[in-house]
Amino acid sequence: MNAFLQRLLRSPALAFVGLAVVWELYVHAFMPSPRYLPALSAIAQDAWSVWPQLLRGFGRTLLETVLGFVLGALFGCACGTVFTYSRWMERSVFPLFVVSQTVPVVAFGALIVIWFGNSLLAKVMTALFLTFFPVTVNTLRGLKSCDPQRIALMRSFGANRLVMFFKLAVPSALPQIMVGFRVAIGLSLIGSVVGEWFGETVGLGVMLMEAMNADQVVRLWVVMLACGLMGALLYGLLTFVERRLVWWRSES
Amino acid sequence: MVAQRKLMASPVVPVLLSLVVLLTVWEGAILLFKIPPFVLPSLGAIVRHAFTDTARLMGALSATLGEALGGYALGNALGLLLAVILLLAQPLERIVMPLAVAVNAVPTVAYAPLFLIWFGLGAASKVALVALAVGFTMLVSALHGLKQADQAAVDLMRSFGAGPLKIVWRLRLPVAMPSVVAALRIGVPRSMIVAIVGEMLGAYAGLGRMIYESTQQIDLLSVWSAVLVASLASMVFYGLLVWIDQKLVWWR
Repeated sequence: MNAFLQRLLRSPALAFVGLAVVWELYVHAFMPSPRYLPALSAIAQDAWSVWPQLLRGFGRTLLETVLGFVLGALFGCACGTVFTYSRWMERSVFPLFVVSQTVPVVAFGALIVIWFGNSLLAKVMTALFLTFFPVTVNTLRGLKSCDPQRIALMRSFGANRLVMFFKLAVPSALPQIMVGFRVAIGLSLIGSVVGEWFGETVGLGVMLMEAMNADQVVRLWVVMLACGLMGALLYGLLTFVERRLVWWRSES
Repeated sequence: MVAQRKLMASPVVPVLLSLVVLLTVWEGAILLFKIPPFVLPSLGAIVRHAFTDTARLMGALSATLGEALGGYALGNALGLLLAVILLLAQPLERIVMPLAVAVNAVPTVAYAPLFLIWFGLGAASKVALVALAVGFTMLVSALHGLKQADQAAVDLMRSFGAGPLKIVWRLRLPVAMPSVVAALRIGVPRSMIVAIVGEMLGAYAGLGRMIYESTQQIDLLSVWSAVLVASLASMVFYGLLVWIDQKLVWWR
């Protein structure tokens, strides 16, 4: 029991419970304008009242985020691999990738709708644009950091390039690639939320816009917390997969 | 032959080549497929438009740049300060870090409406938004860097009677410098993009405001030229930082 209590006291969960209690007590004690800080209970009540819409929006945004992340990750891994094995490509195209990250993609929201239609694809593309870069950089870094002695050893045993790539380069790069994935998943969520601002009818980004335009502060908090929950969920899932998949070395 | 190889070895030539290819494809596609300007205007038209509209663009740029720089400085300073405080007061880290991670799980863009309500439509809301977006990266990365210091070196300094503050200043901060600079670099494009996103949702001036208004008026050339200016500005900002980095972190 004592050990359990001690573990509880040390777990991050306590910080959250503590924050929730302090938040609720603060609001009831000092009565700040709900415009600045609504009570947690009021937020929960509001979330309950729009439950079906919230759930549908959550599902839709989740779908866009995951699709954008998966496509962006695939594209990033492919580019990182090409850049590793072709120095020429790395030196000519990689700088353009860096430049592409300075382009404020939100500005193209309207254009992306013109290009890809007012569809799921448009949001997925926004998410993809934000995701591929960190994955590319980390894949490149991971593949390049492969131990030359091991390469020499495998080569001396007559391994061909394909075998060396899958048996040596990829496993040793995976922890680094995972770091890229973890950055990318958060960016993908941003991409899909922003993508929804332009002519979508379902999603958390839409609810955010509606709440802002209608000046519903409590609803804003509901959507914000929902976004945070999704971000934390996806991040946690990724960390879990990483522990299972890349058991040989966890980076953290 | 040698001259040719030398030309290829310079870092600029491959980039220029791929840039030329990109621009040729861009302009070629417009000519070949007769793409209407509202889908993709030619680069020449964008640049011409940027030159005819210089006064408006520069006014918007200075507003956005001011917000981005202010938030960038504020966020990085606070992030670094918090990292040092958490390092010196270890028990705090276990309470603050989970909360910081939770705050960061919510995508920055989801905070934008709330910050507009809290801090108004002026520059303050964008500065706060940028500071939040940039500060978290700095906190995580600086904390990681500060802990990289060799324990033996810390013990040595302590045995000579150096206090914790002195150890941070003389040993831990220099060791953390590469991590700090990495965070500074990541923050550059992010600060511009976040400032623009904030402005798109509500502002009196700035590139984001201009992009939003031009999108409403379907004046897409203005959107493109604003994006061009924003990207160029963050590239200059980034280049400046790389230059400072090379001068500052000489011990790497």
